[in-house]
Amino acid sequence: MSPEARGDHQAARVVAAATARRAARSAALWGLVFGGYVAYAALQFSATYPTAASRDKVAAGLGDNPGLVALFGQGQRLGTVAGFTAWRVMGVLTLLGGVWGILTATRLTRGEEDAGRWELFLAGQTSRQRAAAQAIAGLAAGLVTLWTVTAAITVAAGSVSRVHFPVTGSLFLAVSVTAGATEFLAVGMLAGQLISGRRQANAIAAAVLGACFLIRVVADSASSLRWLRWASPLGWAEQLRPLTSPDALPLLPVTGLVVVLAAASTALAGRRDLGGATITTRDSAAAHARLLGGPTGLAIRLSRPAVTGWCAGLAVTGLVGGLVAKSAANAISGSTAIKKVIGRLGGHTGSATYLGIIFLVAAALVCVAAAGQIAATRDEEAEGHVDHLVARRAGRLHWLAGRVLAGVALIIAASLAAGLAGWAGEAADHTGLSFVQLLKAGVNIAPPALLVLGIGILAYGWWPRFAATAVYGLVAWSFMIELIAAIITNRWLADTSVLHHINPVPAADPDWKSAACLVSLAIVAAVAGGAGFKLRDLASA
Amino acid sequence: MDAVIRIEELTKAFGKNRALSSLSLEVARGEVFGYLGPNGAGKTTTIRLLLGMLRASSGQAQIFGVDCQRHPALAHRRVAFVPGEASLWPSLTGEETLHLLGRVHGHVDAAYRDVLIDRFDLDPAKRVRAYSKGNRQKVLLIAGLMTRADLLVLDEPTSGLDPLMEQAFRTCVAEARERGQTVFLSSHILSEVEALAGRVAILRAGHLVEIGSLAQMRHLSALSIEADFDSAPPDLSRVPGVAAVEVQGNRVRCQVSGSVDPLLRVLAAAGVRKLISREPSLEELFLAYYGQADTPREASGVA
Repeated sequence: MSPEARGDHQAARVVAAATARRAARSAALWGLVFGGYVAYAALQFSATYPTAASRDKVAAGLGDNPGLVALFGQGQRLGTVAGFTAWRVMGVLTLLGGVWGILTATRLTRGEEDAGRWELFLAGQTSRQRAAAQAIAGLAAGLVTLWTVTAAITVAAGSVSRVHFPVTGSLFLAVSVTAGATEFLAVGMLAGQLISGRRQANAIAAAVLGACFLIRVVADSASSLRWLRWASPLGWAEQLRPLTSPDALPLLPVTGLVVVLAAASTALAGRRDLGGATITTRDSAAAHARLLGGPTGLAIRLSRPAVTGWCAGLAVTGLVGGLVAKSAANAISGSTAIKKVIGRLGGHTGSATYLGIIFLVAAALVCVAAAGQIAATRDEEAEGHVDHLVARRAGRLHWLAGRVLAGVALIIAASLAAGLAGWAGEAADHTGLSFVQLLKAGVNIAPPALLVLGIGILAYGWWPRFAATAVYGLVAWSFMIELIAAIITNRWLADTSVLHHINPVPAADPDWKSAACLVSLAIVAAVAGGAGFKLRDLASA
Repeated sequence: MDAVIRIEELTKAFGKNRALSSLSLEVARGEVFGYLGPNGAGKTTTIRLLLGMLRASSGQAQIFGVDCQRHPALAHRRVAFVPGEASLWPSLTGEETLHLLGRVHGHVDAAYRDVLIDRFDLDPAKRVRAYSKGNRQKVLLIAGLMTRADLLVLDEPTSGLDPLMEQAFRTCVAEARERGQTVFLSSHILSEVEALAGRVAILRAGHLVEIGSLAQMRHLSALSIEADFDSAPPDLSRVPGVAAVEVQGNRVRCQVSGSVDPLLRVLAAAGVRKLISREPSLEELFLAYYGQADTPREASGVA
């Protein structure tokens, strides 16, 4: 080997080692979360329902609920610890793993590049293409760590006598719950090659994840749509059916996807400039100064892409939910258990129950949009953009008010988009719900997001460094609580979810009093945050 | 009351770290004031306090008699600020950025803006993300200068500019001075300050170590002496006021502070053939403050 070639290999290994170290650190932590959730589900279920009879009773109630099936996927043998655990963890962890995969991949590839750290490596003796390949190797090391930690905890929990999973079954379960992470590490990696800027790459990859989740939800909504599972990478993961009837065949498309995306990422990395993008936008543009008269107009201008994107995403969610509501309801019309539940909810149709769950997902999405606005607000300060305004005649609070206004506009627009598109979808299918009901469903999902925005401003005003983490954490926590609400008995715990304080409209009427409370709290929090923001130092550029 | 900037006992601490200690200074109307110091000396901290981006730990600062900490937006009515870190909104074009910053400032001399765009050779139709660092810095300079504000606060404004643009910048500051605008120029490019500033303050580790006109500072500082002899030069190290003696063959270089009389006597007695004396450049002055003592010292050699 020539000295140059040896230098090449060393430089490349530096990228691989640095990526692997950081990916593994995060993966070890998330492995604890993954494994912990599996252990929690298995131990909790086996302890709460010790007899076969009690388990069957629970299984009958859960397996027939169209909303739960849509969220978690189709369960099998829910009356057993294995079946219940697999069903309970798969939907949640493949989705969560997808989020982790995207954030990790973009952070360690595009994020490092944006921060200028790759320049140091590439100024040495390695090519972009090889650096990208080494980064993939580093991410793979992170994935192995995630799987190892998850598998270790799963095997340990499985060895408890009342749970009793076979070791091979536990290992395959660990493969299955990390399948989402595997797929979306690759998706995040490719997104990072396509567009410049980590946040934009995250947005692209998140849109793909959202679409995959939606396709999976639709596929599980009615038996006639089951084939759609094969159209979604999250559906492939579901088809693995760990613990109940494990099937390794769907690992084929999973592996294929990862190989294709990794190869594409490496190829694209070699063809573009460092810091550049495969998809380039035009460098010059005619001036559109209409909105640029002050901080508020600027905030609206800067948020416009986010507003468009989220409105489109929420509209698609609402539309698809509306379109499949009737078939989802028909699928369960034979179930007496569900009829009882429907009766309790005030005699609404099955479609309304189904849409109630869909709008819960929509509410969570709008909360994510609100959290994104907080992160963007923080970025404006950290990048030093605010300096240009407050050094002139704009007051700090004037600027912050503009950002809040843009956030509120985004939340309301996205909520209404979900409601209106939901109506369009269900009207096309003659489901029988009125325009007003769906409009209310849309309006109903805004207050939790407004609260997230308010709490975010509070955190931003006093502890700007932690604001983004705090709001994203709050939203993730809330959605998690909603997903496991059926097995939560502690009311206080359930109340910590911002999503827990709205009714499942259109299956129930909106709780206006509770909505008013959420909005008032949001205003109080935002005002308190504004007070902190006025007093503190602005972060240095 | 003719002080445009008045800073009194201004102190800023970040945790235990004192970034600025009891700074007091005044900048008079119409002067170009050079603010010097190495990285981390507290230059930017001073400016961010003046602009109300940081909260002072104690002391106060006024611009045109308005308290910067209590009424920042009011104090900034007649101020234009050019930061050295060229971070702008990447999705806006240069023209849009100038429009926005002009509107937020309130007043723009449109004709002068066009002159500046021409002079700095900027293509305003490009998006900020497509600009080089130097071009982003030009946008910020134009945005500051086009307001014709009574006070220009410039924080290392020429970082990333090429020599031609640096020249254009100096022309602009000279124009501003002729129009009676006041300029607060923070920089570590000493030649720039030397060419433009009438008065200079030198900052070190958060303390003001020197303030005054360049002529004063030179007068009070050491002279550089270079003397040639026909044979080996005499030993100068014991002569009062002489320091930094350097012998090179028949040539000797040294610095002398205070009276040059004792040195001249020794030189004349030894039969000096050629003598050059030179006032120190700002760079030499600056290095004199930083090169030697590690402990902070009060205005050495200055009464």
